[in-house]
Amino acid sequence: MSVSPDKPVRLEAIGCRTALGDAETTCTALLAGDRALQFLPVLGPEGGDRVPLAPLPGRSMAETAPPNWLACTDALAAGIPAGPWGTARHPVFVTSSNFGVGSLYAFQRTHDPEHLPYTTPFSTVEVLRRRLGWGANISVLSHACISAHIGLLLASHVLHAGLADRALVFSFDFISPFVTGGFHALKILNPEMPAPYSARATGSIGLGDGAAFAVLGRGPGGFRLSDQNIYNEMHHFTANRADGAGFTACLAPLAASAAGRRLWIKGHGTGTLEAGRLEAETLARFFPGAPLVSWKGSLGHTLGSCGLIELAVALAAIKSGRTPGSVGSIAPCFTDNVATEPFANAGFDGVLLTSNAFGGAHAAFLLSHD
Amino acid sequence: MSDPLLSRLKQLIVDTLKLDDIKAADIPDGEPLIGAGLSLDSIDALELVVRLEKEFGIKITNSEEARAALLNVAQLAAYIRAHASKDKLPA
Repeated sequence: MSVSPDKPVRLEAIGCRTALGDAETTCTALLAGDRALQFLPVLGPEGGDRVPLAPLPGRSMAETAPPNWLACTDALAAGIPAGPWGTARHPVFVTSSNFGVGSLYAFQRTHDPEHLPYTTPFSTVEVLRRRLGWGANISVLSHACISAHIGLLLASHVLHAGLADRALVFSFDFISPFVTGGFHALKILNPEMPAPYSARATGSIGLGDGAAFAVLGRGPGGFRLSDQNIYNEMHHFTANRADGAGFTACLAPLAASAAGRRLWIKGHGTGTLEAGRLEAETLARFFPGAPLVSWKGSLGHTLGSCGLIELAVALAAIKSGRTPGSVGSIAPCFTDNVATEPFANAGFDGVLLTSNAFGGAHAAFLLSHD
Repeated sequence: MSDPLLSRLKQLIVDTLKLDDIKAADIPDGEPLIGAGLSLDSIDALELVVRLEKEFGIKITNSEEARAALLNVAQLAAYIRAHASKDKLPA
């Protein structure tokens, strides 16, 4: 599924919240090498191993009713440009890999009906819709950790089909004991800090809170999503094909359309070994010389929302003139293109942003600017 | 005489993963468990690790350690002997 380079969409507004703050604050902290991840009990108030987590400052992983993350989505939504969102010509695309699964787990344990409005994707989005005053034209999308990419791509299709004047993509993922416990059971969330793309003996990821929005429109100029592609290799729940064919299938079309341009790359880079190596090697092959960064060694993996959150941070980086390096990564890395330190980005004319997901899903888009 | 730990582990694999068409005694000690051989996948590995941790009171800390321990039944037995307390091992 793709959007071709002759149909760019304009990025009219964007914003995010991470454990380090809004997009600009997050970028500044990443440039300073700050790490939001800290070792916290994997099951929140119920304890367990201490693993790298980055909840929003002051937010407990305890499942409250209503969820304590609503304060974050309210604050983020306050920055969305005014508009008749959720009406016929102004659709909203809400994406997440979690929605309210933590509340579902809390309800299963406590049987407290106060959790029920937040337990399913559609009921959770309905809560948001009412709080934020949106109309009913809302699409609810989820595909693990490329969820936000799917929202961006479908919003782009709707715009280019002439079905909308502007589109709002809104994504949120907040960690809960259900989610952290699942990754911990897989042993990839373990008592080590993530070091994306580092060639070391054991892999590990961190998990973080995050939410973001983007307003997309048609027309030239400014920051544009100039080429988008999504590919699912349908190989396995938790593993990619060992030959990297899924990464290749997703990235090859973008490499062709980016030929001759000077890009830097915001990769997925969670800190797992096999996927990290495949990703770094494929990116180095298709985009030789393009510096590669991952920010999940600081922010943690913000799951289905990472694609939109990291787009907001990338834009802040372009505006600041410097791109944060891969915080937490240490040499030797899988490939020479991994940038562990910040670098000036004035000489670049675009950014490739990629995400990958369980189920063998791969997503990438080009962010172009004048 | 067969090693009781090897026999126990083979039965545990069959029971945990509900391998109805495989007899525990037919699993070779050195046959790969993941990918080739028994062709277990990462979800199977997750189920096995959870069961092993509970049964033998061990703690596997990361996915690379899990993969090394689950190379084959002989390797798994060696791992269990190295990490479990003696009272957890079959007599």
